[in-house]
Amino acid sequence: MTRPNKHLNEKILLDELREVILREDREALTEIENTLNDPRLLSEKVNPIIEQHLEFLKSEFPDAYRTAVGRQIDARLELFKDEMIGHMYPEMGKIVRKYVTHQFQLLKERIDGTVRNTFSLKTVKRKFKATFLGIDESDLVLTGADSIKIEEIYVIQRNSGLLLGKAAREEVLDQDVVAGMLTAIKSFVEDAFRRDSEDLEMIQYGSYKIFIQNFHSYYIAVAMQGSLSASESDVLSTKLLKFAHSYLEKLENITDLKIRNISTKLYENFIKDQ
Amino acid sequence: MTSKKIILSGSFGVGKTSLFNQFIYNRFSDKYLTTIGVKVNKKNILVDDTEIPLLLWDIAGEVAQDKVPTSYFLGASGVIYVFDLTRPMTYQNIQTDINYLKDLLPGGIIKIVGNKVDLVSDEQLENIRTSLPITIDIVTSAKTGQNVEELFLDLGKELIR
Ligand SMILES: Nc1nc2c(ncn2[C@@H]2O[C@H](COP(=O)(O)OP(=O)(O)OP(=O)(O)O)[C@@H](O)[C@H]2O)c(=O)[nH]1
Ligand SMILES: [Mg+2]
Repeated sequence: MTRPNKHLNEKILLDELREVILREDREALTEIENTLNDPRLLSEKVNPIIEQHLEFLKSEFPDAYRTAVGRQIDARLELFKDEMIGHMYPEMGKIVRKYVTHQFQLLKERIDGTVRNTFSLKTVKRKFKATFLGIDESDLVLTGADSIKIEEIYVIQRNSGLLLGKAAREEVLDQDVVAGMLTAIKSFVEDAFRRDSEDLEMIQYGSYKIFIQNFHSYYIAVAMQGSLSASESDVLSTKLLKFAHSYLEKLENITDLKIRNISTKLYENFIKDQ
Repeated sequence: MTSKKIILSGSFGVGKTSLFNQFIYNRFSDKYLTTIGVKVNKKNILVDDTEIPLLLWDIAGEVAQDKVPTSYFLGASGVIYVFDLTRPMTYQNIQTDINYLKDLLPGGIIKIVGNKVDLVSDEQLENIRTSLPITIDIVTSAKTGQNVEELFLDLGKELIR
Protein backbone atom coordinates (compact mmCIF):
# COMPACT_ATOMS: atom_id res chain seq x y z
CA MET A 1 0.00 0.00 0.00
CA THR A 2 2.87 2.33 -0.58
CA ARG A 3 1.62 3.63 -3.90
CA PRO A 4 -1.13 6.12 -2.81
CA ASN A 5 1.23 7.45 -0.16
CA LYS A 6 3.95 8.00 -2.68
CA HIS A 7 1.37 9.71 -4.83
CA LEU A 8 0.44 12.02 -2.00
CA ASN A 9 4.05 12.84 -1.25
CA GLU A 10 4.68 13.58 -4.86
CA LYS A 11 1.70 15.89 -4.93
CA ILE A 12 2.91 17.77 -1.83
CA LEU A 13 6.38 18.01 -3.29
CA LEU A 14 5.00 19.26 -6.57
CA ASP A 15 2.89 21.89 -4.80
CA GLU A 16 5.89 23.07 -2.85
CA LEU A 17 7.95 23.16 -5.97
CA ARG A 18 5.25 25.12 -7.75
CA GLU A 19 5.05 27.51 -4.80
CA VAL A 20 8.80 28.09 -4.94
CA ILE A 21 8.93 28.52 -8.68
CA LEU A 22 5.88 30.73 -8.99
CA ARG A 23 6.34 32.87 -5.89
CA GLU A 24 8.56 35.37 -7.67
CA ASP A 25 6.20 35.50 -10.61
CA ARG A 26 3.26 36.11 -8.32
CA GLU A 27 5.06 38.88 -6.49
CA ALA A 28 5.97 40.42 -9.80
CA LEU A 29 2.36 40.14 -10.90
CA THR A 30 1.09 41.86 -7.76
CA GLU A 31 3.60 44.65 -8.30
CA ILE A 32 2.50 45.06 -11.88
CA GLU A 33 -1.14 45.16 -10.77
CA ASN A 34 -0.31 47.79 -8.17
CA THR A 35 1.56 49.86 -10.71
CA LEU A 36 -1.28 49.62 -13.18
CA ASN A 37 -3.83 50.70 -10.60
CA ASP A 38 -1.87 53.63 -9.20
CA PRO A 39 -1.80 56.53 -11.68
CA ARG A 40 1.31 57.99 -10.10
CA LEU A 41 3.31 54.76 -10.31
CA LEU A 42 2.00 54.12 -13.79
CA SER A 43 3.01 57.52 -15.07
CA GLU A 44 6.47 57.08 -13.56
CA LYS A 45 6.87 53.98 -15.71
CA VAL A 46 5.14 55.20 -18.81
CA ASN A 47 6.39 58.79 -18.97
CA PRO A 48 9.99 57.95 -19.88
CA ILE A 49 8.74 55.72 -22.69
CA ILE A 50 6.45 58.43 -24.00
CA GLU A 51 9.24 60.97 -23.77
CA GLN A 52 11.49 58.63 -25.71
CA HIS A 53 8.86 58.11 -28.37
CA LEU A 54 8.16 61.81 -28.61
CA GLU A 55 11.86 62.43 -29.13
CA PHE A 56 11.96 59.71 -31.74
CA LEU A 57 8.90 61.12 -33.51
CA LYS A 58 10.34 64.62 -33.41
CA SER A 59 13.46 63.47 -35.23
CA GLU A 60 12.01 60.79 -37.50
CA PHE A 61 8.62 62.20 -38.42
CA PRO A 62 9.63 63.99 -41.64
CA ASP A 63 11.27 60.89 -43.11
CA ALA A 64 8.92 58.24 -41.86
CA TYR A 65 5.69 59.95 -42.79
CA ARG A 66 6.56 62.14 -45.72
CA THR A 67 5.17 59.86 -48.42
CA ALA A 68 2.08 58.87 -46.48
CA VAL A 69 1.24 62.48 -45.68
CA GLY A 70 1.99 63.47 -49.26
CA ARG A 71 -0.48 60.92 -50.59
CA GLN A 72 -3.16 62.05 -48.16
CA ILE A 73 -2.70 65.65 -49.24
CA ASP A 74 -2.89 64.72 -52.92
CA ALA A 75 -6.11 62.80 -52.35
CA ARG A 76 -7.71 65.61 -50.37
CA LEU A 77 -6.65 68.22 -52.89
CA GLU A 78 -8.40 66.27 -55.63
CA LEU A 79 -11.52 65.98 -53.48
CA PHE A 80 -11.78 69.65 -52.51
CA LYS A 81 -10.56 71.28 -55.69
CA ASP A 82 -13.38 73.85 -55.91
CA GLU A 83 -13.22 74.72 -52.27
CA MET A 84 -9.47 75.15 -52.63
CA ILE A 85 -9.86 77.55 -55.50
CA GLY A 86 -12.25 79.55 -53.35
CA HIS A 87 -9.62 79.82 -50.64
CA MET A 88 -6.81 80.44 -53.08
CA TYR A 89 -8.47 83.30 -54.89
CA PRO A 90 -7.72 86.07 -52.37
CA GLU A 91 -4.17 84.76 -52.10
CA MET A 92 -3.73 85.07 -55.85
CA GLY A 93 -3.79 88.87 -55.62
CA LYS A 94 -0.80 88.73 -53.31
CA ILE A 95 1.04 86.33 -55.58
CA VAL A 96 0.43 88.50 -58.64
CA ARG A 97 1.68 91.51 -56.74
CA LYS A 98 4.79 89.64 -55.72
CA TYR A 99 5.34 88.45 -59.28
CA VAL A 100 5.02 91.93 -60.77
CA THR A 101 7.33 93.38 -58.13
CA HIS A 102 9.84 90.71 -58.95
CA GLN A 103 9.58 91.21 -62.70
CA PHE A 104 9.97 94.92 -62.22
CA GLN A 105 13.08 94.35 -60.19
CA LEU A 106 14.55 92.14 -62.93
CA LEU A 107 13.81 94.84 -65.46
CA LYS A 108 15.43 97.46 -63.26
CA GLU A 109 18.53 95.31 -62.90
CA ARG A 110 18.76 94.99 -66.67
CA ILE A 111 18.31 98.70 -67.16
CA ASP A 112 20.86 99.35 -64.47
CA GLY A 113 23.42 97.23 -66.22
CA THR A 114 23.03 98.05 -69.91
CA VAL A 115 20.91 101.11 -70.55
CA ARG A 116 22.19 103.24 -67.71
CA ASN A 117 24.37 105.34 -70.01
CA THR A 118 21.89 105.68 -72.84
CA PHE A 119 18.71 106.70 -71.08
CA SER A 120 18.10 108.08 -67.69
CA LEU A 121 16.47 105.55 -65.44
CA LYS A 122 13.57 107.89 -64.88
CA THR A 123 12.59 108.05 -68.59
CA VAL A 124 12.65 104.32 -68.92
CA LYS A 125 10.59 103.92 -65.82
CA ARG A 126 8.13 106.45 -67.16
CA LYS A 127 7.86 104.60 -70.46
CA PHE A 128 7.36 101.37 -68.70
CA LYS A 129 4.65 102.90 -66.57
CA ALA A 130 2.94 104.41 -69.62
CA THR A 131 2.61 100.98 -71.19
CA PHE A 132 0.61 99.94 -68.23
CA LEU A 133 -1.53 103.02 -68.05
CA GLY A 134 -5.20 102.29 -68.10
CA ILE A 135 -4.83 99.05 -66.29
CA ASP A 136 -5.81 100.11 -62.81
CA GLU A 137 -4.69 97.10 -60.87
CA SER A 138 -1.18 96.87 -62.25
CA ASP A 139 -0.67 100.58 -62.05
CA LEU A 140 -1.50 100.32 -58.40
CA VAL A 141 0.99 97.51 -58.01
CA LEU A 142 3.70 99.43 -59.81
CA THR A 143 3.37 102.64 -57.85
CA GLY A 144 4.29 100.62 -54.81
CA ALA A 145 6.98 98.68 -56.58
CA ASP A 146 9.05 101.21 -58.43
CA SER A 147 10.58 103.11 -55.56
CA ILE A 148 11.91 101.96 -52.26
CA LYS A 149 10.66 103.54 -49.14
CA ILE A 150 12.32 102.91 -45.82
CA GLU A 151 9.61 102.16 -43.29
CA GLU A 152 11.72 101.30 -40.28
CA ILE A 153 15.37 101.15 -39.44
CA TYR A 154 17.06 99.47 -36.49
CA VAL A 155 20.54 99.20 -35.05
CA ILE A 156 20.64 95.95 -33.11
CA GLN A 157 23.27 94.49 -30.82
CA ARG A 158 24.42 91.40 -32.60
CA ASN A 159 24.58 88.83 -29.85
CA SER A 160 21.77 89.89 -27.53
CA GLY A 161 19.28 91.25 -30.04
CA LEU A 162 18.83 94.35 -27.87
CA LEU A 163 18.04 97.63 -29.60
CA LEU A 164 20.77 100.25 -29.91
CA GLY A 165 18.72 102.65 -31.98
CA LYS A 166 15.51 102.87 -33.99
CA ALA A 167 13.54 105.13 -36.26
CA ALA A 168 10.33 104.68 -38.22
CA ARG A 169 8.13 106.57 -40.67
CA GLU A 170 5.09 105.86 -38.58
CA GLU A 171 4.91 105.07 -34.92
CA VAL A 172 5.65 101.37 -34.44
CA LEU A 173 4.88 99.60 -31.20
CA ASP A 174 7.35 97.35 -29.45
CA GLN A 175 10.32 97.88 -31.68
CA ASP A 176 12.52 96.07 -29.19
CA VAL A 177 10.36 92.99 -29.59
CA VAL A 178 10.80 93.23 -33.36
CA ALA A 179 14.56 93.57 -32.87
CA GLY A 180 14.59 90.48 -30.65
CA MET A 181 12.55 88.41 -33.07
CA LEU A 182 14.70 89.51 -36.01
CA THR A 183 17.81 88.43 -34.15
CA ALA A 184 16.22 85.12 -33.24
CA ILE A 185 15.28 84.49 -36.89
CA LYS A 186 18.76 85.49 -37.98
CA SER A 187 20.43 83.15 -35.46
CA PHE A 188 18.05 80.40 -36.43
CA VAL A 189 18.78 80.69 -40.14
CA GLU A 190 22.52 81.06 -39.61
CA ASP A 191 22.53 78.07 -37.24
CA ALA A 192 20.31 75.93 -39.42
CA PHE A 193 22.55 76.28 -42.44
CA ARG A 194 25.68 76.05 -40.32
CA ARG A 195 27.24 78.95 -42.10
CA ASP A 196 29.32 80.33 -39.28
CA SER A 197 31.10 82.87 -41.40
CA GLU A 198 28.10 83.86 -43.49
CA ASP A 199 25.34 86.14 -42.34
CA LEU A 200 21.74 86.50 -43.28
CA GLU A 201 21.48 89.61 -45.45
CA MET A 202 17.88 89.84 -46.56
CA ILE A 203 14.51 88.72 -45.33
CA GLN A 204 11.65 89.02 -47.77
CA TYR A 205 7.96 88.84 -47.09
CA GLY A 206 5.73 89.57 -50.06
CA SER A 207 6.92 92.92 -51.39
CA TYR A 208 8.18 93.84 -47.94
CA LYS A 209 11.91 93.41 -47.39
CA ILE A 210 14.33 93.64 -44.54
CA PHE A 211 17.81 94.52 -45.70
CA ILE A 212 20.50 93.58 -43.21
CA GLN A 213 23.97 95.03 -43.00
CA ASN A 214 26.23 93.18 -40.60
CA PHE A 215 28.96 94.72 -38.50
CA HIS A 216 31.18 93.20 -35.88
CA SER A 217 29.17 93.78 -32.74
CA TYR A 218 25.87 94.96 -34.17
CA TYR A 219 23.81 94.93 -37.34
CA ILE A 220 21.54 97.39 -39.06
CA ALA A 221 18.17 96.22 -40.31
CA VAL A 222 16.27 98.32 -42.83
CA ALA A 223 12.64 97.43 -43.42
CA MET A 224 11.25 98.70 -46.68
CA GLN A 225 8.58 98.34 -49.26
CA GLY A 226 9.29 98.01 -52.99
CA SER A 227 11.99 96.45 -55.10
CA LEU A 228 15.68 97.07 -54.62
CA SER A 229 18.03 96.82 -57.57
CA ALA A 230 21.64 95.76 -57.20
CA SER A 231 22.88 99.32 -57.56
CA GLU A 232 20.27 100.70 -55.16
CA SER A 233 21.31 98.12 -52.66
CA ASP A 234 24.93 99.27 -53.14
CA VAL A 235 23.94 102.86 -52.49
CA LEU A 236 22.05 101.91 -49.36
CA SER A 237 24.94 99.79 -48.17
CA THR A 238 27.44 102.61 -48.62
CA LYS A 239 25.14 104.98 -46.79
CA LEU A 240 24.88 102.54 -43.89
CA LEU A 241 28.65 102.13 -43.73
CA LYS A 242 29.10 105.90 -43.58
CA PHE A 243 26.47 106.15 -40.89
CA ALA A 244 28.15 103.42 -38.86
CA HIS A 245 31.49 105.13 -39.19
CA SER A 246 30.12 108.48 -38.03
CA TYR A 247 27.78 107.45 -35.23
CA LEU A 248 28.29 103.86 -34.19
CA GLU A 249 31.84 103.78 -32.93
CA LYS A 250 32.45 102.95 -29.27
CA LEU A 251 29.33 100.96 -28.51
CA GLU A 252 30.60 99.16 -25.41
CA ASN A 253 28.66 100.81 -22.63
CA ILE A 254 25.15 101.26 -23.82
CA THR A 255 23.09 103.88 -22.03
CA ASP A 256 19.62 105.16 -22.68
CA LEU A 257 21.12 108.47 -23.77
CA LYS A 258 23.31 106.78 -26.39
CA ILE A 259 20.31 104.88 -27.72
CA ARG A 260 18.32 108.11 -27.98
CA ASN A 261 21.15 109.84 -29.86
CA ILE A 262 21.55 107.03 -32.36
CA SER A 263 17.80 106.99 -32.91
CA THR A 264 17.75 110.72 -33.68
CA LYS A 265 20.59 110.32 -36.18
CA LEU A 266 18.83 107.37 -37.81
CA TYR A 267 15.73 109.47 -38.25
CA GLU A 268 17.62 112.43 -39.72
CA ASN A 269 19.65 110.29 -42.12
CA PHE A 270 17.19 107.70 -43.36
CA ILE A 271 13.59 108.61 -42.67
CA LYS A 272 13.14 112.38 -42.67
CA ASP A 273 13.68 113.38 -46.30
CA GLN A 274 12.14 110.45 -48.10
CA MET B 1 17.73 101.49 -17.45
CA THR B 2 18.45 99.67 -20.72
CA SER B 3 16.55 96.50 -21.58
CA LYS B 4 17.65 93.19 -20.10
CA LYS B 5 17.46 89.98 -22.06
CA ILE B 6 16.07 87.03 -20.11
CA ILE B 7 15.79 83.48 -21.48
CA LEU B 8 13.11 80.98 -20.51
CA SER B 9 14.61 77.55 -20.92
CA GLY B 10 14.00 73.93 -19.93
CA SER B 11 12.57 70.72 -21.34
CA PHE B 12 9.48 70.75 -23.53
CA GLY B 13 6.05 71.02 -21.97
CA VAL B 14 7.30 72.25 -18.59
CA GLY B 15 5.29 75.48 -18.85
CA LYS B 16 7.71 78.14 -20.14
CA THR B 17 5.18 79.68 -22.51
CA SER B 18 2.51 79.43 -19.82
CA LEU B 19 4.67 81.33 -17.31
CA PHE B 20 5.44 83.91 -19.99
CA ASN B 21 1.74 84.34 -20.82
CA GLN B 22 0.71 84.43 -17.17
CA PHE B 23 3.33 87.09 -16.43
CA ILE B 24 2.70 89.25 -19.48
CA TYR B 25 -1.04 88.86 -20.09
CA ASN B 26 -2.34 87.28 -16.86
CA ARG B 27 -3.83 84.42 -18.79
CA PHE B 28 -3.51 80.65 -18.82
CA SER B 29 -4.63 77.93 -21.19
CA ASP B 30 -4.80 74.18 -20.65
CA LYS B 31 -4.00 73.61 -24.29
CA TYR B 32 -0.45 72.65 -25.13
CA LEU B 33 0.90 74.42 -28.21
CA THR B 34 4.57 73.66 -28.42
CA THR B 35 6.75 76.67 -29.16
CA ILE B 36 8.56 76.64 -32.46
CA GLY B 37 11.83 78.53 -32.46
CA VAL B 38 11.56 81.58 -30.23
CA LYS B 39 8.95 84.06 -29.14
CA VAL B 40 10.15 87.39 -27.81
CA ASN B 41 8.04 89.68 -25.66
CA LYS B 42 8.52 92.55 -23.31
CA LYS B 43 7.37 93.70 -19.92
CA ASN B 44 8.63 96.41 -17.62
CA ILE B 45 8.94 95.65 -13.95
CA LEU B 46 9.38 98.06 -11.09
CA VAL B 47 11.97 97.24 -8.47
CA ASP B 48 12.74 99.80 -5.73
CA ASP B 49 11.67 102.71 -7.94
CA THR B 50 13.77 101.46 -10.85
CA GLU B 51 11.92 100.49 -13.98
CA ILE B 52 13.54 97.52 -15.70
CA PRO B 53 12.43 96.63 -19.23
CA LEU B 54 12.64 92.84 -19.52
CA LEU B 55 12.91 91.29 -22.95
CA LEU B 56 11.83 87.72 -22.46
CA TRP B 57 12.89 85.05 -24.92
CA ASP B 58 10.58 82.07 -24.67
CA ILE B 59 12.43 79.32 -26.49
CA ALA B 60 11.34 75.91 -27.70
CA GLY B 61 11.99 73.24 -25.08
CA GLU B 62 14.79 70.74 -25.53
CA VAL B 63 15.45 67.66 -23.44
CA ALA B 64 19.02 68.81 -22.85
CA GLN B 65 20.19 72.41 -22.73
CA ASP B 66 23.13 71.79 -25.05
CA LYS B 67 20.60 71.16 -27.86
CA VAL B 68 19.43 74.78 -27.70
CA PRO B 69 21.24 77.00 -30.25
CA THR B 70 23.88 78.78 -28.15
CA SER B 71 23.31 82.01 -30.06
CA TYR B 72 19.96 82.40 -28.29
CA PHE B 73 21.74 82.81 -24.96
CA LEU B 74 24.25 85.42 -26.12
CA GLY B 75 24.05 88.71 -24.29
CA ALA B 76 21.44 87.44 -21.84
CA SER B 77 21.45 88.83 -18.31
CA GLY B 78 19.67 85.81 -16.93
CA VAL B 79 18.13 82.44 -17.58
CA ILE B 80 14.94 81.11 -16.02
CA TYR B 81 15.41 77.36 -16.03
CA VAL B 82 12.02 75.72 -15.71
CA PHE B 83 11.26 72.10 -14.91
CA ASP B 84 7.99 70.28 -14.39
CA LEU B 85 7.42 69.06 -10.81
CA THR B 86 5.16 66.30 -12.13
CA ARG B 87 7.65 64.86 -14.66
CA PRO B 88 10.94 63.50 -13.23
CA MET B 89 12.23 63.29 -16.78
CA THR B 90 12.38 67.11 -16.84
CA TYR B 91 14.68 67.38 -13.82
CA GLN B 92 16.77 64.24 -13.88
CA ASN B 93 19.61 66.03 -15.71
CA ILE B 94 19.22 69.31 -13.88
CA GLN B 95 22.80 69.39 -12.58
CA THR B 96 24.30 68.91 -16.06
CA ASP B 97 21.96 71.51 -17.52
CA ILE B 98 22.74 74.10 -14.86
CA ASN B 99 26.49 73.55 -15.16
CA TYR B 100 26.17 73.97 -18.89
CA LEU B 101 24.24 77.23 -18.51
CA LYS B 102 26.73 78.57 -15.94
CA ASP B 103 29.56 77.93 -18.39
CA LEU B 104 27.63 79.60 -21.16
CA LEU B 105 26.77 82.71 -19.13
CA PRO B 106 29.51 83.36 -16.62
CA GLY B 107 28.18 85.79 -14.05
CA GLY B 108 24.67 85.55 -15.45
CA ILE B 109 21.70 85.00 -13.18
CA ILE B 110 20.17 81.54 -13.26
CA LYS B 111 16.81 80.97 -11.62
CA ILE B 112 15.74 77.38 -11.08
CA VAL B 113 11.97 77.09 -11.19
CA GLY B 114 9.79 74.09 -10.37
CA ASN B 115 6.51 74.70 -12.19
CA LYS B 116 3.02 73.13 -11.95
CA VAL B 117 3.11 73.21 -8.16
CA ASP B 118 -0.70 73.15 -8.23
CA LEU B 119 -0.46 69.48 -9.26
CA VAL B 120 1.75 68.16 -6.45
CA SER B 121 1.17 67.65 -2.73
CA ASP B 122 3.39 69.21 -0.08
CA GLU B 123 4.82 65.80 0.64
CA GLN B 124 5.68 65.15 -2.99
CA LEU B 125 7.28 68.57 -3.23
CA GLU B 126 9.37 67.83 -0.15
CA ASN B 127 10.53 64.56 -1.67
CA ILE B 128 11.57 66.28 -4.87
CA ARG B 129 13.45 68.94 -2.93
CA THR B 130 15.44 66.39 -0.97
CA SER B 131 16.16 64.24 -4.01
CA LEU B 132 17.53 67.09 -6.13
CA PRO B 133 21.26 67.84 -6.16
CA ILE B 134 20.53 71.58 -6.38
CA THR B 135 18.22 74.03 -4.62
CA ILE B 136 15.03 75.12 -6.29
CA ASP B 137 14.83 78.92 -6.25
CA ILE B 138 11.08 79.12 -6.46
CA VAL B 139 8.09 76.89 -7.17
CA THR B 140 5.38 78.33 -9.38
CA SER B 141 2.06 77.60 -10.99
CA ALA B 142 1.44 79.23 -14.32
CA LYS B 143 -2.13 78.01 -13.90
CA THR B 144 -3.05 79.68 -10.61
CA GLY B 145 -0.47 82.43 -10.97
CA GLN B 146 1.18 81.39 -7.70
CA ASN B 147 4.65 82.99 -7.37
CA VAL B 148 4.79 84.03 -11.05
CA GLU B 149 5.04 87.76 -10.31
CA GLU B 150 7.47 86.99 -7.46
CA LEU B 151 9.72 85.03 -9.77
CA PHE B 152 10.22 88.01 -12.07
CA LEU B 153 10.51 90.50 -9.22
CA ASP B 154 13.19 88.37 -7.55
CA LEU B 155 15.01 88.27 -10.85
CA GLY B 156 14.68 92.05 -11.19
CA LYS B 157 16.17 92.55 -7.72
CA GLU B 158 19.20 90.51 -8.69
CA LEU B 159 19.52 92.42 -11.93
CA ILE B 160 19.97 95.78 -10.21
CA ARG B 161 22.14 94.41 -7.42
N1 LIG C 1 -1.70 72.41 -14.06
C1 LIG C 1 -0.76 73.14 -14.65
N2 LIG C 1 -0.54 73.00 -15.97
C2 LIG C 1 0.42 73.76 -16.54
C3 LIG C 1 1.17 74.71 -15.79
N3 LIG C 1 2.04 75.31 -16.63
C4 LIG C 1 1.82 74.78 -17.86
N4 LIG C 1 0.85 73.84 -17.81
C5 LIG C 1 0.36 73.04 -18.95
O1 LIG C 1 1.44 72.30 -19.46
C6 LIG C 1 1.39 72.22 -20.87
C7 LIG C 1 2.66 72.74 -21.50
O2 LIG C 1 2.80 74.11 -21.24
P1 LIG C 1 3.65 75.12 -22.15
O3 LIG C 1 3.66 76.41 -21.44
O4 LIG C 1 3.18 75.12 -23.54
O5 LIG C 1 5.06 74.41 -22.09
P2 LIG C 1 6.45 74.88 -22.76
O6 LIG C 1 7.49 74.70 -21.73
O7 LIG C 1 6.30 76.24 -23.33
O8 LIG C 1 6.63 73.80 -23.90
P3 LIG C 1 7.50 73.92 -25.27
O9 LIG C 1 7.14 75.20 -25.93
O10 LIG C 1 7.11 72.72 -26.06
O11 LIG C 1 8.93 73.86 -24.86
C8 LIG C 1 0.14 73.01 -21.28
O12 LIG C 1 -0.90 72.09 -21.48
C9 LIG C 1 -0.13 73.89 -20.10
O13 LIG C 1 -1.50 74.17 -19.98
C10 LIG C 1 0.91 74.83 -14.39
O14 LIG C 1 1.52 75.59 -13.65
N5 LIG C 1 -0.07 74.01 -13.88
MG1 LIG D 1 6.55 76.94 -25.23
